[in-house]
Order: sequence, then structure tokens, then C-alpha cells
Amino acid sequence: MAKELWQQEADWLSLLRSGDHNAFAQFIDKYKELVFLCCRRLGLREDEAEDAASETFLAAFKGLRRYGGQAELSTWLWSIAYRQAVNYLRKNRRQWQFEVEPDEEIPSNKEQGPAAALQAEEQQEVVWQAVDRLPRLWAMAVVLYYREEKSIADIAKIMQAKENTVKTYLFRARERLKQMLEGAFEEAADASR
Amino acid sequence: MPADRLNEDKFGRILSQALRRHSEPVPAGFTAMVLMQVRGAQEQRILARVVLQERLTLAACITLAGLTVVVAAVFPEIAAATFRAITTSLTGQGENLIDRIPEALKALIGRWSSVGEYSVLGAVFGFAIYSLVELLMGDRATIA
Repeated sequence: MAKELWQQEADWLSLLRSGDHNAFAQFIDKYKELVFLCCRRLGLREDEAEDAASETFLAAFKGLRRYGGQAELSTWLWSIAYRQAVNYLRKNRRQWQFEVEPDEEIPSNKEQGPAAALQAEEQQEVVWQAVDRLPRLWAMAVVLYYREEKSIADIAKIMQAKENTVKTYLFRARERLKQMLEGAFEEAADASR
Repeated sequence: MPADRLNEDKFGRILSQALRRHSEPVPAGFTAMVLMQVRGAQEQRILARVVLQERLTLAACITLAGLTVVVAAVFPEIAAATFRAITTSLTGQGENLIDRIPEALKALIGRWSSVGEYSVLGAVFGFAIYSLVELLMGDRATIA
């Protein structure tokens, strides 16, 4: 069964590399959410995210012939998406730079108190809002680590940073998220005990 | 396991679960739009290749003409001798060819049965030329 799946994946990859449009349509359908996730986490607006995402897929189409399978296909595409989004920002926003330490005071859910127990969907929404309030690079590292389950080494490759830098982003992001989500998570943590 | 580490793990787990439940919205028709762009980019690439071929051909023609002029200017005697040799040879062959036409016609009239065979050969030759032109100009025809 596993061998069959592997063979199917290999066949699909070879079709992709040969420039087959149907295989590429499947590729887009499979990974478009990932690319938009990357573009929006880096702070691109809707129209900008769409431009950067289509540029990402065009670059992927050109680069697929050279893809040798050293990294996972999703990791390879994350790297392209990250590069395209950063290039887009650099090209179109002269004053743009990644903020690493936000000046604004961090709003916390603590004031809601434990009485404001959050349901799973609400919790998800609150978490996303909190992640979106993080500095872009921290948010990116959090999404890659906690949502995509990428290793620190892969995240470092995607973000073109050192592994220690990624670890710092993650540590600081976790601390900041803990402050932000304190109230919302108290009950959830109690429930999971 | 220390309490801090336990909390850290729990926090990470809750974070993972919440983040994984999120689905990122994608504009409708995005796949079709990207595929259209990919096709456009491929056509542009073919067009660029054809333009490059034409430019190379033009450059080769200009270089050849330039070289001829330079050789004629720098080595006039050699150029004149070469030109004379070529024209003499062509004129001689041309005269021979013209002389041979009536003989060929006579032979052809004498062998009417062969005319059919020659027609088939001619058609095959014509088709070969057509295929060659189609092969070389195919890209241009597709784009047009």
C-alpha cells in the first residue's frame, strides 16, 4: 500500500517535472492555501497576496525541472513563496521592513477572566488573531513550526535565517502568545489535564 | 518532568491544534488564472526563441555580406579570381543544363509510362519539403 502510494507520488512528480498542465493544476490545488498563508502572514494585502502567490506558482513551474527531491515538496514551495513575498514587499513598499519588536502594547485576554470560557472554534479564532498581531517573522516561524510541523532546520532554510535565530523567534513568540492568550488558555489547559 | 516543561508542551499542543484548524481563504478561480499565466509564459518563451533565431539569421546575413565587402576591399585580386571562377563554372554548367533540356524532353516523350512514376516522385519530394518547412515554422504557426 505504502509502496503504491510512493509510486503514485513519484509518477505525479515526474508528470509535474515534464510540464504536464493537469498535474500542475493538481499541484496548485494542493498547495495554494499554503502559499496564501505564507503571503498573508508576511503582511501582504489581498491583491498583493494574489500577485505574489501567482508569481510563486510561475516560479515553481519553471523550477520544477530542477527540483531533485532533497527537501519535501512543501518545504521547497514554502521557500519559493517566502522569497517571492519578501521580494514583493521590497519592490512595492519602499519603507518596508520586518518589525521584530512591536512598539504597541500587547492586548491580553486576561481581562476576560476564566469565566469567559472559549469553545474550540472561538479559541482557534483567538489564536489566529493573536498570531496575526505578532511581528511577521515570529508569526511565520510559529505557523511553520506549530501548524506545518516543520523542523527548525527546515524553517531556517525557508526563512533564510540561522537555526538559532529561528529558535529565538519561536521562544519570544511563545512568550508573547502566552501573555496574549493567558485568559483564553487557562480553561483549555485545565480541560486537557 | 518539570512543571514548566509540562505547561510548555500543553501550550504547544493547544497552539498546534488551534492553528491546524484554521483554513486560509483562497480567491475563486485562482488555479485557472495561474494556469492561464503559465500558458502565456510558455507562448512568450516560444516567441522569444523564434525572434532570437530570426535575429541570429539576420546577423549571419549581415556578417556574411560585411565579410564579403571586407575581403573584396582587402584582397581585391583574390576576390576577383574567386568571383571569376564561380561565374565561369556557373555559366558553363548553365549552358550544359540548357543544352540538356531538349534531350531530356525527347527521352521523356519516348517513355510516357515513366511520367507517372516521376509525378509520384515529385509529389513525395514536395511533401518532404512541406514537412521540413512545417517543422521549422511550426512554432510560429502555433503562435499566429
